[in-house]
Amino acid sequence: MDASLAISCRGVTKRFYYYQLRTTTLREVFIRSVTRRPISMRSELFTLTDFDLSVRRGDAVGLIGSNGSGKSTALRLIAGIYGPTAGTIETRGRVAAVLELGAGFHHELTGAENVAFYGAVLGMTRKGLQARFDEIVDFAGLEAFIDVPMKYYSSGMRARLAFAVNANLDPDVLLIDEVLAVGDAEFRQRCRERLQQLRRDGCTLLIVSHDLENVVDTCSRAVWLDKGAMRMEGPAEAVVDAYRLSAS
Amino acid sequence: MNARGTFLTRQSRAVQRLWRSKQLVASLVSRNLKVKYKRSVLGFVWTLVNPLLTLVVLVSVFSYVLRVPIEDYWAFLLSGYFVWNFLGQTITSGTNVLTEHGPLSRAVAFPPEAPILAAALSRLVEFTIEMCLVLAVLTIFHHGHVPASYLLLPWLVLLQLVMALGLTFPIAALSVFYHDVQHAVPLLLATLFYVTPVFYALSLVPESVRPIFLINPIAWLMTLYQAAVYYGELPTPTQFLTTTAIAVGLLVVGYGVFNRYARFLAEVV
Repeated sequence: MDASLAISCRGVTKRFYYYQLRTTTLREVFIRSVTRRPISMRSELFTLTDFDLSVRRGDAVGLIGSNGSGKSTALRLIAGIYGPTAGTIETRGRVAAVLELGAGFHHELTGAENVAFYGAVLGMTRKGLQARFDEIVDFAGLEAFIDVPMKYYSSGMRARLAFAVNANLDPDVLLIDEVLAVGDAEFRQRCRERLQQLRRDGCTLLIVSHDLENVVDTCSRAVWLDKGAMRMEGPAEAVVDAYRLSAS
Repeated sequence: MNARGTFLTRQSRAVQRLWRSKQLVASLVSRNLKVKYKRSVLGFVWTLVNPLLTLVVLVSVFSYVLRVPIEDYWAFLLSGYFVWNFLGQTITSGTNVLTEHGPLSRAVAFPPEAPILAAALSRLVEFTIEMCLVLAVLTIFHHGHVPASYLLLPWLVLLQLVMALGLTFPIAALSVFYHDVQHAVPLLLATLFYVTPVFYALSLVPESVRPIFLINPIAWLMTLYQAAVYYGELPTPTQFLTTTAIAVGLLVVGYGVFNRYARFLAEVV
C-alpha cells in the first residue's frame, strides 16, 4: 500500500447468501437429499462488487447511497468484521468503528464497566484507558449515569457513549455508520467539532450518512454507492449534488 | 485476508490470531463472571447449590437404594461429578455463545473463537473453586492425608479444558448454521451421562462391553480423575497417554471443523 494511504480497497467483492439467514435445518438437508433435489443453499442475496477505494491519511470521505446499497457492508469489510469474497483490503494503524447503536455494550454492566471492556477489546492498555476515562465520560456528558447499568440508558445515551469511546481512543482510522443521527443537536455539534479536531491530528475518517449537509461539511470527498456498485466518486459537493438530482 | 493454505498453516495462523487477542479473552472472561454474579446476593452459592442437590439425590439413590459397591460412595461421586458438570455446561454454552456475542461481533473485529474460549475459561474459574472444595473435603473425610496423586491435577485440568474446547468449537460453529444442534446437544448430554462412568466406576462395567464405553472420550478423563482424586492412585501410563492423545486429537479435529466456518460467522450470527 502507498505510504500516503490510510485505507486501500482493491477489487473488493462481497457476496451474501441465503443460507446465511439461518433458514437451513437438518430436516431440509435430509428431505432434499432423499428427494434428490439439488441443495441450493447458496442462493445469492446481495453483492458488493468491485469496490475500489483509496483514502489518503487525514482525509475525510463520505459514503452515500440509498438503503441497502452496501454502505454498511463496505464499512464492516474495512473494519475487518467481514472477510471479502475477493479483492484486498488494507488499512494503516488503529481502526476504530462506530457501527451499531450500543457497539456491543452489555446491558447488565454499567457504562464505566463497558468502557473498560471496550477499551480492552480495541487493544488499549489499562493505564492508557485510565488516562482517557474522564475525557470519554465528559465528552459523552454522562457523568451522572456512568455507574448505572446500561439497560437504563436511552438509545441516544448509548450512541453518545459509543461515539465518545471510539473518538477518544486515538484512532488512526475512524469509521462511523450513521450513529450521529441519534444524538441531540448539541451533541451532534460536539461530534462535528471532535471530528474536525481528529482530522487536524491526522486521523482518517470514513463516514456513512444520510445527512447530506453533514457530508458536505465534514468530508472533502464522497463515494456514491448504488445497489452494491460504485456509481460515482469525487469531491463531496459534486457527488452529493448528483445524488440529490437522481433522488428527486 | 482469505484463510487459504494447507491444514497446518491455517491452524497455526488461527492460533497466532488467538494469541494476539489474549487481552480480549481475558476481558471477556471477567465480563462473563461479572455479569453472572452481579445482582445476585448469594452469588457463587447458586453455582454450588445446583450440583449439590443432584449429588444428594445420587448419593441417596446409589448408596441406599441401588447399592453401588464402592466404599465412601459420596467421595467417589464428588471426584468426577464436577468434571462432568464442567464439560456439560461448557458444551451447552457452545450452542448459544456465538449468537449471544452477535451484537459485539458485528461492532468490533475479533477472532470468533475468543468468546468460546472465554466461556470455557470462565467456567474453569468456577470449576477450580469447586474442585478445591472437593479436594479439601476428600482430604479430611476420605483420605485422612494429602495423597501424592493430587499433583497430577493441573495436567488433568488442562486435558479437561482441551477436551471441552475440542467438543465445543464444532458445536458452536454448527449451531449457528443448524438450529437443530441447540436442541440435540442437551438431549445427547443427558443420555451421555448414563453411559459415562460418573456415578459408577468403569471397573464395574462387564469386561465384554467395556470397549464400547471407552469409545466415549469423557470416560477416559473420568477414570483419570477418579484414580487421582478418589483412589489416590497414579493412573497407568497407557491410560494417561491415551487420554492425552484423545484430548489433543479432539481439539485438532474440532478446531479444524470450526475453522471451516470461522470466516462466515460474523455475518451469520
